[in-house]
Amino acid sequence: MVTKEEIMKIAILSKLFVGEDEIDKLTEDMSGIISFADTINNAADAESDFDNINELSNVLREDEVVPSLDRDKILENAKDSDEGCFLVKNIMK
Amino acid sequence: MSQSNITKLHEGLVNKDFSCRELTEKYLKAIEKDNGELNAYVTVTPETAMETAEKVDEKISKGEDIALLEGIPMTLKDNISTDGIRTTCCSKILEDYTPIYDATVWKILKARNSVLLGKTNMDEFAMGSSCETSYFGGAKNPHNTGHVAGGSSGGVASAVGGNLAVFGLGSDTGGSIRQPASFCGIVGLKPTYGAVSRFGLIAYASSLDQIGPITTNVEDTAIVFDAISEYDKMDSTSKGSSVPVCGSLKNDIKGMKIGIAKEYLEGIREDVRKCIDEAISVYQSLGAEIVYFDIPSIKYALPVYYIIACAEASSNLGRYDGIRYGYKAENYRDVNDMIKKTRSTGFGDEVKRRILLGTYVLSSGYYDAYYKKAQSLRGTIVKAFREAFTKCDVMLAPTVPMTAFENGHAVSDPVETYQTDICTVPVNICGLPAVSVPCGFDEKGLPVGMQLIGNSFDEAKILNAAWQYEKTAGKFRAAGFGVSL
Repeated sequence: MVTKEEIMKIAILSKLFVGEDEIDKLTEDMSGIISFADTINNAADAESDFDNINELSNVLREDEVVPSLDRDKILENAKDSDEGCFLVKNIMK
Repeated sequence: MSQSNITKLHEGLVNKDFSCRELTEKYLKAIEKDNGELNAYVTVTPETAMETAEKVDEKISKGEDIALLEGIPMTLKDNISTDGIRTTCCSKILEDYTPIYDATVWKILKARNSVLLGKTNMDEFAMGSSCETSYFGGAKNPHNTGHVAGGSSGGVASAVGGNLAVFGLGSDTGGSIRQPASFCGIVGLKPTYGAVSRFGLIAYASSLDQIGPITTNVEDTAIVFDAISEYDKMDSTSKGSSVPVCGSLKNDIKGMKIGIAKEYLEGIREDVRKCIDEAISVYQSLGAEIVYFDIPSIKYALPVYYIIACAEASSNLGRYDGIRYGYKAENYRDVNDMIKKTRSTGFGDEVKRRILLGTYVLSSGYYDAYYKKAQSLRGTIVKAFREAFTKCDVMLAPTVPMTAFENGHAVSDPVETYQTDICTVPVNICGLPAVSVPCGFDEKGLPVGMQLIGNSFDEAKILNAAWQYEKTAGKFRAAGFGVSL
């Protein structure tokens, strides 16, 4: 069972607002989903920790400078930018 | 249907029976006429399409050779990045986002002059089984528009099934290629994890996501898979597929061992079961040997899938903050308030639910009970499938326990909707390849699909088995929309 307080705490961690009008329905939905997820705790402990599938290993490249994306083009997708930078409200006074 | 449309159209272009311009215009007109009803496309790209068509016609008129996929009208799911063409993931948060680079799969097809007709509808961030979580409303089933096309790649399936594209690329995290292909009565392949580059695919759950083709027949699927399964240094999990699958499609399957895990047949609807039983008989008549066994851990596949997928999603979707791209909320106090308002109004309900679930299972106090436990059970399931493939060459299972839901049905109860993914998620958990092939119809005329599941990088085997079934007893039926070939 998930409580409203837990949902509010998770929402803060997820950077989401949960409104007063949403909280009851969301708590109900999440309780259903969590109790469904809980069924895995009926399983006996697995023998080994899962690492990765298909024995894939990371492919790393040499640390060399290669052409990258164009700064102005990147900034075209930002709602606010200034002098080649993303613009946000000041974080420190 | 066992004749490849791609091959047929390719021959038509080479023999100058029609020009690429004429072919492309035919599809664009059909989209104009039928997309209102099917809602398959969210962005149509007539200029890009015609520009490519002109290029292909010029090559043909000069007597130059053209590749198989050259000049073939196709579509991409709207989570595959296209340089200069908006890519929305069917979310408000990316409604006006235009990528500045191409996904590798599109780069490959673009270089071959495949004709991009537009970008197709999907569940928001690929989270859903009905396409109805799309910010633009769901895609409809071309066999009955009162029913959904399925999800999450519902738009691609609706477009290909509704003859508004010859082929399309979708992505499959827990069944998102195979389930809509099954609902729309066409073919969809989820390749082995690592076989196709995911560079430029907007991430949902990185250890499960895979791009693959959706087509009307097995040979087309094989042709597209061979084209896109290249090794890519831009994807750290890329391996590529070294052997082309087209060459072995028509191999004899006499003596092939087809495994059936009994768990896949539990709880499926009776009419679906009947179609599966008939398919089994077809394989027996082709000389295949049917082997039955149990994989008890399949019963944990669904919760394991939802825990892992949501955990990865909560991390992947952390990047949407309104600062660098996409939607940004207006009227906020400070940066934190801006990020929260942007995410709360930019994401839809299902996406928010999955982010919350993912954050919950990763949070302190719950990590061991959910995420860690799910990862270790994932290992158990992987081991069980490896063991199963020592007893058989390919496995056969239903794709979905039912046929396409009625519009609006999937939105009401999240857990009930999650349950419908029971037959598709094990393959993603194990990184295995699986193809969905039409194998019958229910009494309302809605298609039923079956899956052929292979061991890692055994695409050739499952497509061979699928092609043989299609040739002998194929159940493709053209829907009454779009271009008739």
